Amino acid sequence: MLRLVALRLAAFVPTLLATSVILFVAVNVVPGSAAKAALGIDATPQAIARFEHDQGLDRPLHVQYLDWLGKALRGDFGTSFQNHLPVSPELLTRLPVTLELAILAFIVANLIAVPLGAAAARSHRHRTDQVVTLLATVMGAVPNFWLATLLILTFALKLGLFPAGGFVSMAESPLRNLSLMIMPALSLGIVSSALLLRIMRAGMIEVLASDYIRTAVAKGATAPRVVWHHALRNALIPFLTVGAVEFGWLFGGVVIIEDIFLLPGIGQLVLVGIINRDYPVLLASTLTVTVAVLTANLLVDVLAGILDPREVYARPRT
Amino acid sequence: MRQSAGVAQQREIGRLVDAFRHGGMSRRAFLRRCGALGVSLAAAQHLVGAYTGAPAAAAGGPRRGGILKAAFSADPAGFDPVRGPSGMSHVVIEQVYSTLMALDPDAKPYPELAQSYKMTDGGLTYTFNLRQGVKFHHGDELTAEDVKFSFDRLRAPKSGYSYGAQVETIKSVDAVDRYTVRFRLSKVTGPFLIYMAFPGSSIVPKKLVDSGHDLNAKPIGTGPFKFVSYEPRSAIKFQRNPEYFEKGKPYFDAMEYRIISDITALTNALLSGVVNFSNEIPPKDFAKVKASAGLTAVTLEGSRYNWLLLNNTKKPFDNPKVRQAVSFALDRQALVDGAFFGLATPILGGVVPQWNWGYADISFVPPKGDLAKAKALLAEAGYPSGITGVDIGMTLPSSFPNIMAMGPIVQANLAKAGIQAKLGTMEIPRYWDEIWSTSNFGITMMYWLSPLADPDDFVTNNYHCGMAINVQKYCSKEMDALLEQAKSAPTVEARKALYRKMQDLSMQDMPIVPLVNGWLLIGHTSKLQNYRPMRTGFLKTLKDAWLEA
Repeated sequence: MLRLVALRLAAFVPTLLATSVILFVAVNVVPGSAAKAALGIDATPQAIARFEHDQGLDRPLHVQYLDWLGKALRGDFGTSFQNHLPVSPELLTRLPVTLELAILAFIVANLIAVPLGAAAARSHRHRTDQVVTLLATVMGAVPNFWLATLLILTFALKLGLFPAGGFVSMAESPLRNLSLMIMPALSLGIVSSALLLRIMRAGMIEVLASDYIRTAVAKGATAPRVVWHHALRNALIPFLTVGAVEFGWLFGGVVIIEDIFLLPGIGQLVLVGIINRDYPVLLASTLTVTVAVLTANLLVDVLAGILDPREVYARPRT
Repeated sequence: MRQSAGVAQQREIGRLVDAFRHGGMSRRAFLRRCGALGVSLAAAQHLVGAYTGAPAAAAGGPRRGGILKAAFSADPAGFDPVRGPSGMSHVVIEQVYSTLMALDPDAKPYPELAQSYKMTDGGLTYTFNLRQGVKFHHGDELTAEDVKFSFDRLRAPKSGYSYGAQVETIKSVDAVDRYTVRFRLSKVTGPFLIYMAFPGSSIVPKKLVDSGHDLNAKPIGTGPFKFVSYEPRSAIKFQRNPEYFEKGKPYFDAMEYRIISDITALTNALLSGVVNFSNEIPPKDFAKVKASAGLTAVTLEGSRYNWLLLNNTKKPFDNPKVRQAVSFALDRQALVDGAFFGLATPILGGVVPQWNWGYADISFVPPKGDLAKAKALLAEAGYPSGITGVDIGMTLPSSFPNIMAMGPIVQANLAKAGIQAKLGTMEIPRYWDEIWSTSNFGITMMYWLSPLADPDDFVTNNYHCGMAINVQKYCSKEMDALLEQAKSAPTVEARKALYRKMQDLSMQDMPIVPLVNGWLLIGHTSKLQNYRPMRTGFLKTLKDAWLEA
């Protein structure tokens, strides 16, 4: 078990470094100039030159990268081109918002996927299965931003049940926090449940057909006990792996959803970073997402090891 | 059809005014009915004032309390007056700091921190007598030294001040005594008093800044609201300054500026009560705001004009006749109706709006254009069968919805006249880089909101040779001379005459084609009272407004 964790951790650092290089290059080759984006309509050539000099953008790219990396390793992600404030403290205040949203959305996705997937598997090729499969196809095809807009129109503007957007921290008011988080979590969770549901269903169908389940049924175990007690644990393993990827996807999905629901999270930061070509902000926020995805993967590998000890002795998946 | 509707509206307003004058209608009812007719609140209040001989005041007295929550689409770029280069910085700066002069809703300057001022030496010296006992938010009293310091700071060679042109004619600033400060100018500067009202000219506390305080992180001034916090890209919070020099004001306990970059989300925030004020309602959503219970919708013509840029250095637009032909080919009424849902004014002559003293009543083109005239001009220019064989790129910035909405209409209008333009779009950072700053276009479009209400600000940037936004690359000695004379002429009358000439010339040379002036579209809770929107789009007058219980 420890060996697995150590191996995964060892892969973590080079992955992160490689990602940072790719991000740095990508940010810099995207068309558009940071100086012109920051200075806007009446930027003079002199002002542009001064901006680029002040921000060190007139240096060779590798020098810029090493300088950035050196500071980033010490937790300093530089100052925003747009508001001249340090980026790192902003990351810290925004990260909990995005984490909460991703976790809530993940819970929503699982609450939909696990029971529906299991139910579909139990009635394999029958009515429930067909309805659930159709539902999964529809949910998977709906873009989350469209669903978000629909939810706002219905529940905020028409019915007035929830606020259309904004954020209040859990510490300030748990109830208000949840009332603001429910629609964003639903828009992300419903869409991402589609894939999870299919994996759950497929995994469960496979497990339900296996010998030990037949034995359990023969011993007289009730149907719910067979599904929830005997089958679920094994069906969860492929589900978890996909779930980790899905969690990373949720972290990416927050970009547009946070903007729609006015949530001051990392996703919003990615968006304004792109719109303003605010390199320090864009790099710091995308790297944060990378770290989150890698961490989720690491955790799942460990969890899979706990659920299925055979995983520990197998070669770590890459 | 539209004209007859306009006549009917005029008649209806006349009837309302009569009813109000004869006491047949309350002031509030009058204002509400005017609003229903599409008359802006400021204009309606002006009517009230005109018929009662007193400035309009809302029913009931001022009430202290409440929080004004306003939504904006842009993130500020710093709060130090010397650094904040953006309009969003300025709407924060104007609440926290004060200026020697201020602008009233119609953009006329009046003394703010100054109690009075005197102009001598034929306009080369201005002496300001300061209010006494004005306190900065940290407790120090504001004195002439702070004023001198603030301007010396803006004028310092490497200050990085984005509006250096406003202070370049200041030769010296001297503190004559504790409450008197004297500015000497190197040449007569027509808009000087307006410059003194610009948020960039805010007075900062000398001692505090000298001691190393960072105004960008925590702005401190003498304004109606104290700065509390800034969550980047999310919110700015203010609290009432109980020691504000206008006793009893402001009335709100606090203000919150929410930053909502998505314009649809911004409207939703207002409709659902997440915020209770915005002056950035997009035209497409204005009817929704107007129809919403509990919200008041107000329009005001400001200075947000949209114009077409024609590359003056490239064929075929290097010929003024072709540029005039473009102007005649356009149906500006269709732009107003199609892209602005009627919430704009077609610009038929020069770009100075009608409410401004620099307005020149020129009807160079009819509102719906004149296709025959456009074709005749093209023929004169040597294109009797339209312009063919020239690749005319018309790339537009996709981040500006109004411009995107006008694009296809303009393209279709031009095609009718025989000018084929290829429409393209680009997101704004690429646009600034690849189209705008490199003048890499045949045609493009832009808009801006002049933060200063002086005619100089409406025209110099666009028409003077070498200005940063003159990317159509128009250069005319005659035009430059007119602009410079108009800026430094000694009297308003003299300046007005020169701006008239300048705008006439701008129609002959047509370096840019003025399109429409998009109104300021404001939506706020109906509980907000005594709010007078400003032509400049600024929000200084919020200090006079209050929220009903």
